[in-house]
Amino acid sequence: MKLALTINGDEHTIDILTPAPACRFQLGDSPERSAQVETPEPGVYSVLMDGRSYDAYVEETPNGLVVSLQGYHFEIAARDPRRWSRKPAGSGGEGVRTIASPMPGKVVRVLVAAGDAVEAGQGIAVVEAMKMQNEIKAPRAGKVLSLPAREGATVAAGEVLATIG
Amino acid sequence: MFRKVLIANRGEIAVRVMRTLREMGIGSVAVFSDADRTSRHVRMADEAEHIGPSPSAESYLRTDRILDAARKHGVDAIHPGYGFLSENAEFAAACEDAGLVFIGPSAESIRMMGSKTAARRTAMAAGAPVVPGIDHAITFEEAREFGRIHGYPVLLKAVAGGGGKGMRAVEREPDLESAFRNAASEALRAFGSDEIYVERLILKARHIEIQILGDRHGNLVHLGERECSLQRRHQKVMEECPSPLVQQHPEMRHEMGQAALRAARAAGYYNAGTVEFLVDQERRFYFLEMNTRLQVEHPITELATGLDLVRLQVEIAAGAPLPFTQEQVAWRGSAIECRIYAEDPYSNFLPFPGKITRLTRPLGPGIRIDGCIYGGWVVPMEYDPLLAKLAVWAGSREAAIERLLRALSEYDVSGIRTNIGFFRQILEDAEFRAGRLHTAFIDEFFERHAPPQPPGDLTAVAALAAALHTLARNGDRLVEGEPRPAAGSQWLQAGRSEFLR
Repeated sequence: MKLALTINGDEHTIDILTPAPACRFQLGDSPERSAQVETPEPGVYSVLMDGRSYDAYVEETPNGLVVSLQGYHFEIAARDPRRWSRKPAGSGGEGVRTIASPMPGKVVRVLVAAGDAVEAGQGIAVVEAMKMQNEIKAPRAGKVLSLPAREGATVAAGEVLATIG
Repeated sequence: MFRKVLIANRGEIAVRVMRTLREMGIGSVAVFSDADRTSRHVRMADEAEHIGPSPSAESYLRTDRILDAARKHGVDAIHPGYGFLSENAEFAAACEDAGLVFIGPSAESIRMMGSKTAARRTAMAAGAPVVPGIDHAITFEEAREFGRIHGYPVLLKAVAGGGGKGMRAVEREPDLESAFRNAASEALRAFGSDEIYVERLILKARHIEIQILGDRHGNLVHLGERECSLQRRHQKVMEECPSPLVQQHPEMRHEMGQAALRAARAAGYYNAGTVEFLVDQERRFYFLEMNTRLQVEHPITELATGLDLVRLQVEIAAGAPLPFTQEQVAWRGSAIECRIYAEDPYSNFLPFPGKITRLTRPLGPGIRIDGCIYGGWVVPMEYDPLLAKLAVWAGSREAAIERLLRALSEYDVSGIRTNIGFFRQILEDAEFRAGRLHTAFIDEFFERHAPPQPPGDLTAVAALAAALHTLARNGDRLVEGEPRPAAGSQWLQAGRSEFLR
């Protein structure tokens, strides 16, 4: 059972050769490994591997899974490598750039209109959270193709504010 | 003693104050805005009163609504916490006018120490050294003149300032004019006043502050220092007691303590307060400002001295004399505190409010957490990103660092981003361990270090857990132990639609 995983932005593959609890798996081209896996609580994976004990907490989010392990967080998206292109999601078409909010917050100002020509570094919108205002800037010059950002609206991290092309 | 106290605040500090009130057998009254109905401080209080919409200007900053709540609930006193109205002399005076005790200094002391320039004048009059600067609102031309006399870099600051707002470091004269304009407009937005003053900027300065405590009978003691040099955007993120520098030069505690007491005495100060100093590389210290309230980082002083500052604040406000003398104050071991913020340290410390999907707190020897969060709570986007303060105590600084690392590895806050991993990286840093701290430490830290890479085995375990979870969740029986052929299985369809945008 092979899966393609995007882990914190890096591409990996994992092959589950034998299922839990006496699990055998292979990560990329590295040697096959064995691990004893139990799920003592929902979403919690107790893994014994090479004599070491790990508690991995798996959480489902709209953008994929977040695995917490010894204080580290792994953002992981899983997919079938045979049936899906390797192109990362959200990169858009040729020459089109999406501008997303880097943080959850409220759109306090929209600084451009659809159809405007913008310079690289020009402010697109101002998002505010926790007493901090953050101006989101155009990564390069272009024309504003779409502008989902609305003043007063609440946005999630990664939510698209505008596309330029 | 008081029967009932209203806490004019929210978040972790409201919870902190309630804990002591409960130990003292005093009832606590919470106030809350729309955004805080289910916040911890409301759930924990004996009584609670709604005071308005989410923006603080319409709730936590409304003296009239807070005093109405106080009257309605029949409280004897008001604890202001920190921030919000805690350093507002008019609020302190309004409490007293309403026949309520303000748990803090007198309105007059707040006036003398509240604005940074007034505080500088008070401190100078008391003989405390100050950073060379101009003590009143200045024009751009006066700032330029100052730079020509004292040299660069200089620091522009808002007269009404705090929290780094309206502050600009200027390296050379050509940058002065735009910096002056930006600082003034930022100050106007933040404080309603565009008045700016100027100081010489001390490079690689340490921020070391002295906790003081005085009663209403003229007794005044200091409780030693806290080093708060680790800052981002001029806000503290990590504090320790004792300061590593003072540990090497123990005479500094007495010298800074005496300077702090002189400044406090000049303001007729009582209750808890903190005198902040900058310390340059030659270990000369300069009065920076006084915070006329309980400080965020007070727990480390409590851990090192064994005192409960909130209890002392309440007792002093009720008229009791200080229960100890300066000679009886003793410091033991080493305490370090991390401010756990909802923010992404690897993305310019951008705030990251949202729902906490899971929370696991560290436990065990030497751990103290002052927090207000719980699993399932949505961290509001209207307020400060401080989620909790994790403080540890141990016999030595080295042991405290190891304990803090251990505690951070047990701390799991999921659903939002926090700076927990960043603290672990700092604690492993050789410069930090050597105690070579200064206020630009974090800026320089990012020049020395990339974001932390987890050990390879952890990545493998995370990948395994994610893969097994994906298979289990999408109906495949792999995890339950019954292998099924992979071909054409439905979870692939489900997985695609769930995980891909």
